[in-house]
Amino acid sequence: MPQIIEVCPVNDLPPGAMRLVEWEDLEIGVFNCAGNVYAIEDRCSHDDGPLVEGELDQETCTVECPRHGSRFDLRTGKPVTLPAYVAVETFPVIIEDLTIKLEVE
Amino acid sequence: MAIPETRTMTENEEIAGINANYEERYGFHDAEHYLYKAPKGLTRQTVEMISDFKSEPQWMREFRLKALDHFLARKQPTWGSPMLAEVDYDNIRYFVRASETPSRSWDDVPEDVKRTFDRLGIPEAERKFLSGVGAQYESEVVYHQVHKDLEAQGVIFTDMDTALREHEDIVREYFATIIPSNDNKLAALNSAVWSGGSFVYVPEGVHVEMPLQAYFRINTENMGQFERTLIIAEPGSYVHYVEGCTAPTYSSDSLHSAVVELIAKPGARIRYTTVQNWSTNVFNLVTKRAVAHEDATVEWVDCNLGSKLTMKYPSIYLLGERAHGEVLSIAFAGAGQHQDAGAKIVHAAPNTTSNIFAKSISKDGGRGSYRGLLEVAKGAHGSKSKVVCDALLLDDHSRSDTYPTIRIGEDDVNVGHEATVSRVGEDQLFYLMSHGIPEEEASKLIVNGFIEPITKELPMEYAVEMNRLIELQMEGSIG
Repeated sequence: MPQIIEVCPVNDLPPGAMRLVEWEDLEIGVFNCAGNVYAIEDRCSHDDGPLVEGELDQETCTVECPRHGSRFDLRTGKPVTLPAYVAVETFPVIIEDLTIKLEVE
Repeated sequence: MAIPETRTMTENEEIAGINANYEERYGFHDAEHYLYKAPKGLTRQTVEMISDFKSEPQWMREFRLKALDHFLARKQPTWGSPMLAEVDYDNIRYFVRASETPSRSWDDVPEDVKRTFDRLGIPEAERKFLSGVGAQYESEVVYHQVHKDLEAQGVIFTDMDTALREHEDIVREYFATIIPSNDNKLAALNSAVWSGGSFVYVPEGVHVEMPLQAYFRINTENMGQFERTLIIAEPGSYVHYVEGCTAPTYSSDSLHSAVVELIAKPGARIRYTTVQNWSTNVFNLVTKRAVAHEDATVEWVDCNLGSKLTMKYPSIYLLGERAHGEVLSIAFAGAGQHQDAGAKIVHAAPNTTSNIFAKSISKDGGRGSYRGLLEVAKGAHGSKSKVVCDALLLDDHSRSDTYPTIRIGEDDVNVGHEATVSRVGEDQLFYLMSHGIPEEEASKLIVNGFIEPITKELPMEYAVEMNRLIELQMEGSIG
């Protein structure tokens, strides 16, 4: 069953900001990319690097894994550069009552 | 591909005629008349100076500086070879400029440099059987030429510095997408100080029939050469790129660390052939990686004869359905050498196929290693792969190691692995000698037979050269 979890008030995640959310055994990176909020699994599919510790590029809407440099498209979870070649999971983001929420399962 | 002709008496005589050692053929060095020679050591100033010299766009300058931080933050790898600990990054010159801009005429190349390439036979090879040539001397390309009919078809073959100036949009789109600057310590180093290398762009459907060749030459002592090569083959196109390299023999070490990225779009085919013959004071630490999209083929033909230590594992990511990858590797490890070569292939899409054939020959205490990764991702059903690695030991104090890794994440696949290690057999030698063939000749025949499956894949001129180099390495090996 999908569940809705609260992340933070919208104002606490301005453009360019990222934060880590833990839910059960999942670690999810939440990113504000030029006003749009996205959430992806916080684990690089190449070598388990923590993506929220990487560099967010708001122009291309990608985050770079700090471990070996793979960049992931935040909208789709797909890697746009090697060495990762498998997409990471994405999570629907809901903005409700000025609060960022995620749908997880 | 042309198959080398059966050896004739004439060729044997010719081979006897080049009974010279590396020192005489390749190990010479020229007097230095450089425009700029950086002091030893790597600093932020060196990186900024390289970028200033090349008048680069801001994004490339930032890319270099970020890569420098990655390089400084990463520890020197401890796997691979104990020799890696001997690399002294502070005793290397990271940039040496020999001429102002790449020339399109051999006549305009500085006299000393031209003499070197004449001696190595490069202009002659261009006239005879190549579609285009690039010649890099120290940090930069001094000569570049491509056939006019290829240019008319939209083929771009130029040095990487010129490509950044004249085709910035294409470079920016693909540069470092296959090998990010933070991929590994040596890729980070190359990304910080890269200079020279080739840029090849083949438009959709264009077949470049004759090979393009680049020749890399190090001349000065304690040189660091960091070329950067990017090849993009648009859908349905074909290109064969060949590179060769040599350096003078010095008593202290040089460093060669290239980054090579290949992109084969749907239905395209890229063949990349290397005849690596650095002198035995060069650390050769290279990152080479390719992607093959749907129905595309990438082939690495990788021959490692020279260098002190080579660590190089050309890799292919088969990202599209029915893509095919092939790595043919020969390594020859003589006295004081460690050839840690191999291949990596990742099957990331269904019905992809691959072959790895690796052969190593060790003699006079040399060490040959095969290090390979074969990975079949979940969902890559119907994939097939065959890995064969054979090692030949010519004496009992040489060494061969095999480090194969296979990861399979899918049930419906067909993967085979074979490995052999053998000594040059007394019975084989006895058989040949009983037919009147002297021992040294017999031993060469056995080695040539061992590597023949790979040399037959080289263009004929290279196959002949390869056999000569092997013969040269084999001189005096019987004792």
